[in-house]
Amino acid sequence: MSYHFGRGWSKLTPYLLLLPGLLFYFLIALGPSIATAFYSFTDATGIRNAPVHWIGFDNYREFLFMGRASLDNLEALKRTLIFSAAVTIIQFALGLFVALIVNQNLKGANIFRTIYFMPVILGVVIQGLMWSLFLYPLGGPAAKLLSLLGLRSEFLGGPPAQAFAWVIFIQIWANMGITMMIFLAGLQTIPAELYEAARIDGANAWQLFANVTWPLLTPSVNTNLLLNIIGSLQAWQLFLVLVGYRNGTQVLGYLIYATGFGQTSGSVTSSFRQGYAAAASIVLFLLVLVIGMTVQYVLQRREERILG
Amino acid sequence: MNARTVSHHGHYRSTRIPWGVIGSYLVMIFFALLYVGPLFMLVNTSLKTMPSFMKDATALATELHFQNFIEAWNKASFPKYLLNSVIYTVAATTIYIITAVFVAFPIARGYIKFSGAVLTLFVIALFLPPALIPQFQLMLHLGLYNNPVGYIMLFIVNPIGIVILVNYIKTIPRELDEAAALDGCGYFRFVWMILIPLIRPALATVIVMHAIGIWNEVIAPTIYLTSKDYYPITRGLIVFQGVYGSNWPTLAAAVLLLTFPMLILFLFLQRYIVSGLTAGAVKG
Repeated sequence: MSYHFGRGWSKLTPYLLLLPGLLFYFLIALGPSIATAFYSFTDATGIRNAPVHWIGFDNYREFLFMGRASLDNLEALKRTLIFSAAVTIIQFALGLFVALIVNQNLKGANIFRTIYFMPVILGVVIQGLMWSLFLYPLGGPAAKLLSLLGLRSEFLGGPPAQAFAWVIFIQIWANMGITMMIFLAGLQTIPAELYEAARIDGANAWQLFANVTWPLLTPSVNTNLLLNIIGSLQAWQLFLVLVGYRNGTQVLGYLIYATGFGQTSGSVTSSFRQGYAAAASIVLFLLVLVIGMTVQYVLQRREERILG
Repeated sequence: MNARTVSHHGHYRSTRIPWGVIGSYLVMIFFALLYVGPLFMLVNTSLKTMPSFMKDATALATELHFQNFIEAWNKASFPKYLLNSVIYTVAATTIYIITAVFVAFPIARGYIKFSGAVLTLFVIALFLPPALIPQFQLMLHLGLYNNPVGYIMLFIVNPIGIVILVNYIKTIPRELDEAAALDGCGYFRFVWMILIPLIRPALATVIVMHAIGIWNEVIAPTIYLTSKDYYPITRGLIVFQGVYGSNWPTLAAAVLLLTFPMLILFLFLQRYIVSGLTAGAVKG
């Protein structure tokens, strides 16, 4: 494209000014990202100037096939998939449902929409502490509600499976607003005339949804599904704030952090095994890649069928 | 479809009771309670004394015990952590946004060779493995571990923002560049004085998204910062929880001290925050 701001050497100005941003990006994001694969074949630690050796596939072998620890890893992998599936499906369905309700030009709908989006800006620490208090086992609101039914629970301090389920709930609570907003943006692109026409044809509310809204919402359906799947496979920050590194609740993201940066909690102890953690990162990355590509392929086929 | 055969059943907007509207409000209120409830509990708890919280955690506060806020402010070292958070957020966001504009503009205009490929280079990071471990090794070897400068460096990159800026700059007419250049305006001056004011909406979106991400970051401080003097407020709150975890009235006050400014900011910048975070959601 023609450049208007001078000739000769001055044509290099854009390159010169672009350089800092590009260098930072290579140094801090792209380079380290690629180097993860390299580190996964070494025994690197978190100690400065400690020798690093090439150990081939040992980390992977250990992660997947060796003894009790690898069984725990596979459990964490399974748990990651469960977490991701539950969060994706429920957050998607609720986000769509709430978006449809809020989108109906009702008085005050804007305020509700703002309220649902609120947790997104508060961040995981505030989200987590809020819910820790709400789920306070000794007479907190949730405990009070349960006691009306004659039930008791330790909530986040209860059996691992229970704590895990609560984290799923809070993860959805925290991020449903994003899903809703993306759906709302999609809903606003659907021309009102289409609804009018369908209504004149005598379509009822369900038929309007099934024949107009749902197919025309395909782009935001795709965006939301992909974002939710990829995001939830990698999400683990709420576990850190809500339950800590606790046996029976770990997901892969947390496991990577704990093995890479040392985390001691109760009976679980780990050291700075960064090569091993890098291998675990690659396992998670491959999981995200394979699932993400498969879903993307399926969604694209579907989009071609509907809109093509 | 057999839509025609089912006529007349869909007329819920008649003079009779509007069940659809009532149902919608019930649903909206139910969800609103789920969102406001925990916040309300936080406010209520923060106004209580410890004994009254122990006696009945959910009873409405009657005494308005504002002492908790003063205590939290002092005991949680709020001023120090808050200042750290502000420094990290402002410094990293400023460096990022300035470098980002100078990356996005020539890509959007094709003023550099292979601009399409360069953009792809930025997008590709979203699909590569997490950089966590090598980033740490890098900081360790640069001697920037437990160092505010190193910590800020972690946050001067954000590829999604570049994509948003490129797309927005493409909507600014190219003729403007030519006209400005004919008037003798240089490249740097054009970007700085003419382009930046024109792309304010996109800049606001990107700045807000990036700044909130840094402000709320919780993992990086636990990895990179070991001295308490360097903690941002998120880490400070977690430490405070560790020490005062059972003293919920004070802890709730501490959480609220951080929540209120965020909520007020949210109300003012809602448009940019929503567009930024829905775009930023790509990061997960």
